[in-house]
Amino acid sequence: MKSGPFAFVRTTTFRLALVYSVLFALFSAALLGYLFQATVGAMRTEAKARLESEFRTLAVAWNTGGPRRLEQSLLERSLVQVRDFTYQFETAEGEVIVGDMPYMPVEKAMPIGVVRSVTFEVERPLSDRAPEITKIEGRITTLGDGSVLLVGIKMDERLRLVGRVTQAVATAAPIGVLLALLGGFFSARYAAGRAEALTRTAEAVMRGDLSQRADVHGSGDEFDRLAEHLNAMLSRLEELMSTTRHAGESIAHDLRSPLSRLRNRLEVTLRGPIDEMTARETLNQTVDEVDKVLATFNAILRLSRVNAGAEGRLQRLDLSELADEMAELFEPAGEAAGLTFSSDIQPDLVTQGDRALLAQAISNILDNAIKYTPSGGRIQFSALSHEETVEIRVEDTGPGIPDADLERVKERFVRLDDARTQAGSGLGLALVEAVADLHQGQFTLMPGHGLDTKPGLIVALVLPKDI
Amino acid sequence: MRVLVIEDDLEHADFIEKVLCEAGHDVETVEDGDSGLVRAREDSFDALVVDRMLPRKPGLQLVEEFRNGGGTTPALFLSALSDVNNRVEGLKVGADDYLAKPFAPEELVARVEALGRRQIQGEPPVTKLKVGELEMDLLARKVTRADQRIDLQPREFKLLEFLMRHAGQTVTRTMLLEKVWNYHFDPQTNVIDVHISRLRAKIDKEFDQQLLQTVRGAGYCLQA
Repeated sequence: MKSGPFAFVRTTTFRLALVYSVLFALFSAALLGYLFQATVGAMRTEAKARLESEFRTLAVAWNTGGPRRLEQSLLERSLVQVRDFTYQFETAEGEVIVGDMPYMPVEKAMPIGVVRSVTFEVERPLSDRAPEITKIEGRITTLGDGSVLLVGIKMDERLRLVGRVTQAVATAAPIGVLLALLGGFFSARYAAGRAEALTRTAEAVMRGDLSQRADVHGSGDEFDRLAEHLNAMLSRLEELMSTTRHAGESIAHDLRSPLSRLRNRLEVTLRGPIDEMTARETLNQTVDEVDKVLATFNAILRLSRVNAGAEGRLQRLDLSELADEMAELFEPAGEAAGLTFSSDIQPDLVTQGDRALLAQAISNILDNAIKYTPSGGRIQFSALSHEETVEIRVEDTGPGIPDADLERVKERFVRLDDARTQAGSGLGLALVEAVADLHQGQFTLMPGHGLDTKPGLIVALVLPKDI
Repeated sequence: MRVLVIEDDLEHADFIEKVLCEAGHDVETVEDGDSGLVRAREDSFDALVVDRMLPRKPGLQLVEEFRNGGGTTPALFLSALSDVNNRVEGLKVGADDYLAKPFAPEELVARVEALGRRQIQGEPPVTKLKVGELEMDLLARKVTRADQRIDLQPREFKLLEFLMRHAGQTVTRTMLLEKVWNYHFDPQTNVIDVHISRLRAKIDKEFDQQLLQTVRGAGYCLQA
């Protein structure tokens, strides 16, 4: 993605933030509008209703008692000081009977019985400050004898309130919209920034730098989780890549020696005189060498397949039975090598396992024990039960392995110096490790108990117990 | 034995043919799955050697169709795919044995010959085996040589039974590990050899004639 100060504009997060800001703004506007309507509108309606009712009351006074009664009602009202209302009662000739308005806000010639609504302002001069202007909403009518009645309700207070509400709405709405947009903008920029950082990590990895890691901010949010998972994935990938690279180099190295030996032998044979004897001998040796190379290839292939999880099907397996069989298979070979081979196999050990692979793994361990334990030594083969695991354990009285090499011997093609002379591909323990991984078990080499004079070695294959 | 080899890699087919011919068998070679199935059906062979990857009809399908059509000729799969699952697949469609490439020529001969021996139709189940003066009673689980009782461990009994059933044939170490122990891997140590020498000590030690022979570079052969 192209970066730049406004690159985040193209991100999904930004668009979402924009949509939400707009929605928020619309919602705020609607809310404010409703509030305005609910307060101001209701106030107007109420004022008009009161005006209407007052006007009707006075109309009743006129109807029942004529000008006298009306005048009296008006006087009573001015005494009670109903602050909202204002009245003007004039004769047909314009003479004021009751009221203090400076003028009638309407031309005189109104037909009798017609009621008109009027809105007007009254200016009342004040000595010490600017004249007071009063807004009035009124009803005006010409009565039967030609006199004119005006009932007004002062709207000032209400209008001030309306003004304040309007002002509040007018101020709040843009601020709300602005805040929504700002919030959207910043959250979008934050999210886009985090996503962009992840993208940059991925790009660096794509360019081949597997050591790149995404930043984890520590807030534990979804970006952190994503970054953590990405990092875990990268670590695993890096590990696999390095194993593969290492294995590739080792394979090349391990196959180069037998192949060059082979080539040299053929070369030497070709240079000398070739009689049937030499030809036959050379070819026999060639076949042996090629067989070794092929065996190594097969072992590599098998190891890769087990590592990749392409081989092996886990099912309920009686490990005791398998261990019994392996003990029975290997015991004579141990005896033949001049070793005391004893086994201690606890019954009914059950695990989830692949019989063929476990047999191969145990066979590799026992092969090693028999190969490296000098004649006269002992091999103790046990199958043990623990709380949550079962264990295959082989202890010998051989020379053991220096502590520094205990982990290393599990790697592919690692062969300790004294093992170089022995037959073997250097893949035996790597396969045991792969089989252990496949079973979610553990493969450990430990210094032995020194049962004899030699330090000895303990090899343990620990597998989860199947309940 | 008449053996039909179905293998598309000509060099490989040539090798197989040569090896089997040398061992004294008649070999016919076919290069693709379709013609292989046709030949297997129209002629009576003693054994089929089938490559798994064949043009026009894969080996698995060939053997499956052959068996579904009532063909009983024993079949051996040859394949570069060698893990246990592949082997199980092969045996499931009706093959009798499975040999991973690359293989030693002796291994191929031994396995093909072991197949041929099985092909006897309508024979009542064997209860007694006899090789020279060595006798095995499968029901009483008793072994005698020159009427002298020989005590064997269960596994030794099984091992001897397999050797006696294939008397006169060479059997390889891998075959023994597969058929007697039911394991499919190559142990690096001489586990099988040691079992054989224990057995030999029990059946041959006190006699002049050695019945259990070692075949150099190949395996073992029990022969009177």
